Amino acid sequence: MRQSMTAVLERDTEFAKDFGTEPYEVAWAGEARWFVQHVDGDGTARYVTQVSPDGITWCDLDGTEHAVEPGALVSWPAAGFGHWLRLRAVVDGTVRVRIHLAIKA
Amino acid sequence: MTLSDAGSDIRSALLAADPRLSKFKPLPRILAFDEFDSGTHGWCELLGNYNGRGDLSTVDAHMRDFRPPQLSACNFFDIGTHGAMSGTYALKLATRPHKGHTAVAIRRLTMSGRGLVQLETYFAFKSEATLGGGDELDTFGDVQWDGNTHPSEAQFGAFTVATDLCGDGGLRYHTVARYQNTDLDNHFTRRWMAPTVPEPTPREHFEGKVKLEYAADFTAPNPEDWQAFGDPQELCYNEVPTKVNWHYLRWLVDTDARKNVELQVNDRVMDMRDVPVPPYEERYETLENLLNFYFSVRTHSDVRNFLFLDSVLISVDW
Repeated sequence: MRQSMTAVLERDTEFAKDFGTEPYEVAWAGEARWFVQHVDGDGTARYVTQVSPDGITWCDLDGTEHAVEPGALVSWPAAGFGHWLRLRAVVDGTVRVRIHLAIKA
Repeated sequence: MTLSDAGSDIRSALLAADPRLSKFKPLPRILAFDEFDSGTHGWCELLGNYNGRGDLSTVDAHMRDFRPPQLSACNFFDIGTHGAMSGTYALKLATRPHKGHTAVAIRRLTMSGRGLVQLETYFAFKSEATLGGGDELDTFGDVQWDGNTHPSEAQFGAFTVATDLCGDGGLRYHTVARYQNTDLDNHFTRRWMAPTVPEPTPREHFEGKVKLEYAADFTAPNPEDWQAFGDPQELCYNEVPTKVNWHYLRWLVDTDARKNVELQVNDRVMDMRDVPVPPYEERYETLENLLNFYFSVRTHSDVRNFLFLDSVLISVDW
């Protein structure tokens, strides 16, 4: 049976400026999927998956932006990500976000 | 639980012959053996309580961001993968880079008896490495980098092992052991501590008695409500933030007497029988036979602090 884990990286956190999620180690995982939900706020944010060799220094994985509107839940996969994952977010207005990272071996 | 002499000898031989168990010293009945090379084994993030609508804004501010544990290969910028003591992966608790922030992993069981309960683990503690910057980063707290000691050691605050126990008609109490590496001013203290008061609860907030801010110390928020036990103890940080040396910890409590018994960390055994275990004054419902364990790590600087656990074994004499 495959190992799996869901990490809640932001739990209804309010942002009124750009932010990055905390580094998360995923060396054991073969696949990952982001779930980003805007549970409140009238703003919009654009998210990009980032990877890192060490949890300190980051670059975009593929540069694809995922826009999330008020009240929406948006999901996208990440593949070939190496050992660390995070999201960087460009925020327009105010957003309250819930971010799940679902990972499987 | 008692065994005959022959049974005890056979059990000891079987434990000694198993390389996974021989590094532990379990009581007669093993409740949990959690080697994190094979998953998280029920150690999960702690979250405060919330209302009937799942409204997370009703969670206490100091209990809503304890961060999810990670399965870590102990990857670092300088050497790559360090690996765990057993296999590749350890369970890692990581704070945010925010002074006072705490990361917590909790394991939830219940008691089918009363008596001795022992938690054993192999652990390591680290601050996150800092890359770049100026000469001022060679000094922090009590440390000036000299080729041997490293300022990141002074950026590590504290880690804690604790229980949340309830039974006997709703009597709830915690046994707690905290290693404080530095005080909140980043000076080394390197001492073991325990709180003299029970942990603040969501109900106390709900009833308007307590309201703690984000990054408050959830175990006991007032530094004056902690008292040291045993002698100060220097642990093995090993100079830089990316060397992982595993320490042995064995902690014994008595759920029949509702008391601490002793704490062993590497070669140091500390008598904890006189360390107070303050119970809650009110009785609790829905917690009967509660047997929870948690580990936490708290930063006293604006640098992420990490607690790595290779494995945990929980055993009892009932």
